[in-house]
Amino acid sequence: MNAFVRLAGVLVAATALSAPVLAQTTVVAPSGSTAGTYMDYMKTVYDRGTGSELLQIPIATFDKEFELTPMAAESWTQSEDGLTWTFKLRSGLVWSDGEPLTAEDFVFALQRAATSGYDFAWYWDFAGGIKGWKEVTEGTADVSTLGLKAVDDLTIEVTTVAPKPYFPSVTSLWYPVPKHKVDELGDDWALDVSTIVSSGPFEIESWEKSNNSVVLTKSDTYTGPWSPMIDRLELDPTLNAPEVGLPAFLAGDADYSFLNTGQVPVATARYPDGIRKNAVFATSYISYDLDAAPFNDVNVRRAFYYAVDRDELTSTVLKDIAIPAGSILPPGYPGYNPDIAAEAVFDPEKAKQFLADAGFPNGEGFPDVEIWYREEGGYNGAIVPAMAQYLQAEFKEVLGISLNIRALPGPEWMDGLRGKKNNIFIAPYEYDYLDPSNFYGIFYNGGRHGYFVPEYDEIIAKADSESDWDTRYKLYGEAEQLMIDQGLIVPLVHPVTIAVVSDQLTGDGVQPNSLGFTQLDRLGHYFFTHITKQ
Amino acid sequence: MFAHILRRILSVAFTFIVVSIIIFSMMHAVPGGPFDANDMPVSEAVRAKMMAQWGLDQPLHVQYLNYMWGVLHLDFGVPFQSPGETVVELISRAWVPSLILGGSGVLIGAPLGILLGMAAALNRNTWIDYFASTLATFGLTIPVFVTSMLLILIFAVWLNWLPASGWPQPNRWILPIACYAAIPLATYARYTRSAVLDTLNRPFVTVLRAKGLSERRIIFQHVMRNSAIPLVTVFLPMFIGTATGSIFVEAMFRVPGLGAYFVSSIEVRDYTLQMALMLLITFMYCLAYLLSDIAYALLNPRIRVGGAE
Repeated sequence: MNAFVRLAGVLVAATALSAPVLAQTTVVAPSGSTAGTYMDYMKTVYDRGTGSELLQIPIATFDKEFELTPMAAESWTQSEDGLTWTFKLRSGLVWSDGEPLTAEDFVFALQRAATSGYDFAWYWDFAGGIKGWKEVTEGTADVSTLGLKAVDDLTIEVTTVAPKPYFPSVTSLWYPVPKHKVDELGDDWALDVSTIVSSGPFEIESWEKSNNSVVLTKSDTYTGPWSPMIDRLELDPTLNAPEVGLPAFLAGDADYSFLNTGQVPVATARYPDGIRKNAVFATSYISYDLDAAPFNDVNVRRAFYYAVDRDELTSTVLKDIAIPAGSILPPGYPGYNPDIAAEAVFDPEKAKQFLADAGFPNGEGFPDVEIWYREEGGYNGAIVPAMAQYLQAEFKEVLGISLNIRALPGPEWMDGLRGKKNNIFIAPYEYDYLDPSNFYGIFYNGGRHGYFVPEYDEIIAKADSESDWDTRYKLYGEAEQLMIDQGLIVPLVHPVTIAVVSDQLTGDGVQPNSLGFTQLDRLGHYFFTHITKQ
Repeated sequence: MFAHILRRILSVAFTFIVVSIIIFSMMHAVPGGPFDANDMPVSEAVRAKMMAQWGLDQPLHVQYLNYMWGVLHLDFGVPFQSPGETVVELISRAWVPSLILGGSGVLIGAPLGILLGMAAALNRNTWIDYFASTLATFGLTIPVFVTSMLLILIFAVWLNWLPASGWPQPNRWILPIACYAAIPLATYARYTRSAVLDTLNRPFVTVLRAKGLSERRIIFQHVMRNSAIPLVTVFLPMFIGTATGSIFVEAMFRVPGLGAYFVSSIEVRDYTLQMALMLLITFMYCLAYLLSDIAYALLNPRIRVGGAE
C-alpha cells in the first residue's frame, strides 16, 4: 500500500509540474449518461442529451443549501382552496435566437409531454398531480382539459387535483420548450446543434453523439439569475467512471473526478483539500412482492428488517461510499426523522424470533429465494452488487436462510418488478424533487412496486395535501412508522459520492454546504454557475 | 473460381437470412422492451404510444419482414437511441474512430509481430527468442483494460508525454493504437514463430540449401511464402474483430467509436441498431473468409478454391 501511495505521489508531482495552462476558462467535468437522444428535457429524461437542463431555465431550482430559488418565475401564489397555483414569470427572458420566452412555452412543454409519450410523464401525475393529467396521457381526454393555462405572456396558472403545498419544488424539473421551433421543425429541433435554442445560462457549441459529450458556452442572451462565471463547459459522460476520470484528472484533462473505493485513500493523501463528499439524496432498500409467499407474512419481513447490520456494512464493504439508512428519507432531506431512522437497528435475536414466529425456526423450511438487482453504472454500480453479497452472507448467518443473487439489465429488472415475477428485490431510488412526498409516493397506491396498503395510502393522501408543514411532516412520520411495523421495505444504505476537485476550481459551487456536502452531480444550475477557474 | 465465388456469395446470403432470423428472435425473446422505464413504471398508454411510433405494435413476423425489406434497400431503420439519424449514418459516423484506431493497431501490430516471430524462429533458443516469447505471452494474457491503464499511468500521468484520453487530436490516438497493436503483435509473433520453425524443418528447405541457394533467398522467397498460410487464416478475422471497436479500449481512452454501441444497443433494446450491427459483423466475417480463400489460392497454387485439388 505504502509503495502504491508513494508511486501515486510521484505521478501527481510529475503532473503538477507540467500541468497545461488553459487560455480560456474552460471547465471539463464528468457527466451522466453516454446515451442521448434529444437535447430536450421535456421530450425525454432518461435518454436526454447531456446538459439539456443547463440549456434551459426552470421555473425554480435549488441552491446548495437545498433552498428553492425562483428562476424563470419571479414569484408564485396559491389560491384559497389550495388547488390553483399562479406563477409570474420574469420579464425580459429570451431564447438564444432572440424570440421572447413566454408562459406559452412552459404550458406547451407540459401539453406536449402529456400527449406524446414522455418517459417522465409519471412525474407530473405522481408528483405534480396536475388536473386531467392521467386522462390526457391515457388518451381519454383532450389536452385542452389539462389544468394548465397561459393567462398572459408572463402568467401561468396550474390547477391540481388536490392541494399540493409542495408544488413549487416540483417545478424545479419544469423547463420551457421553444414552441416557435417545434412549430417549424417538430421535435427534431432538439437533434442538431444548429437548430437547438436555449433559454438558460448556457448555449450549446457542439455535441458528440457517440458518447453524448457536449461543449456549452456562456449564454450572451440570458438575463435570469445565476449567470455563469466560466466561458466554456465541457461535459463528458466518458469521464464519469472513476477508472477513466481519475487518470484523466491526474493528467490535467479533467477538473474533477469521482472516486471509487480503491482510489479514495490515494486521492485523500495527495489532495487533502480537494476531496469533496456528497450524500446523494437516494436510498437503496429491499422491496417485496407483498402478496407472494414467503414475504406475504409480516413476520418474515420484520425478520429481514432486523437482520441487517448496516454499521458493519457501511464500515467494511461499502466504506466511504455509503452511510446506513434507517428510513426511506436520507439525512438532511426535508421531513427526515432521526428518531424513526434510529429504530433500524441490527438485532439478530429479534430477527430470529420473528422468523420463528413465521414458522421457520432457524430458517428451517424457508424456501430458496433469489434477490434481484439492477445492473447499472454510477454509484449504484459500486454499491449494490457488493451489498447483495453481504446480505447473502448475513441472512445465512443470522437467519439460516439461503439467498441467491441475480443481476438483471434495467428493463428486465423493471419488468420483473412490475410483473411481480420475483418476490424480493434490491431497489435504489434517487430523489426527483425535494419533498417527502417524492419518496413516499413510490409506495403509494401501486406506485413503483405494486404495493396497495390502504392504511398507508390514506395517510399519504392526507399528508400530500396538508398545507400545515408540521402536520404534514408528522403524517409522513406516521407513514414511515407504518412501513416499519408492516416491514414494507428494509432501508439499507444511502450512497455517498466522493470526488477530487482541482485546486484551480474555485467559487461557492465547490465549497461544501452547511451539512458538509458538495453537490457535483445534481443541482447543475447552481453548481456550474457558481464555479470559476484560475 | 467464379463459380466458387458465386456459390460463396449465395452462401453469404443464406447465412445472412439465418443469422437475421436468429438475432431477431433472440432480441425479442429477451424480457423488457425499449420503452420500459428504469425507475418508475411507465403507464401502459404511454408505452403503447411509444411502441406504435416505432412500429413495434405489429406482429413479430411483420416487423421482421418490414425490417428485412428495408435491409434489401440498404435501409436499416432509425436507431432508437439516436433518432436524428439513420442506422447507416450512425455506423458510418461512429465507425471512423474505431477504424482509425483498430485498423492502425492491426496494420502496425501485425508486421511487427511477423518480424518479431521471424527473429525468434531464426534465432531459436537465444535471448531474442525468449524476449519475443515473453512479450507475446504478456500481450496475449494481460487484458486490454490493464494494458490501457498502465499506458495511461506511464505516458500520460507519470511522464506526461501524451494526453491520457480523448478525441479527436491525433496525439490522442497514440496510446489507444499501442493498446490495440498489442494483440495482433503478440498473436502474430507466436504464429509466425511456429510457422517459420515448421517450414524450416521441411525437406524442401534442406534441398534448397543443398542447391546452394543463399540463406537470405531461402528465407524470404521460400520459407516466408510457405509460412504465410496460417497467417492469412488469422489476419482478416482479427482485422474485423479489432476494427469494429473494442468496448474496453474505447471506454478507457474515451474514444467516440462503435464499440460502446454493441453493448448499448443490447442494453437499451435498440432493435434496429442491434440487428444492423450483427448483420454488419456477419457480412464482414463472410467477406473475410471469402478473401482469405482467394489469398490461399494466390499464395499456394496447390490449394484450389472450391475443394478440388
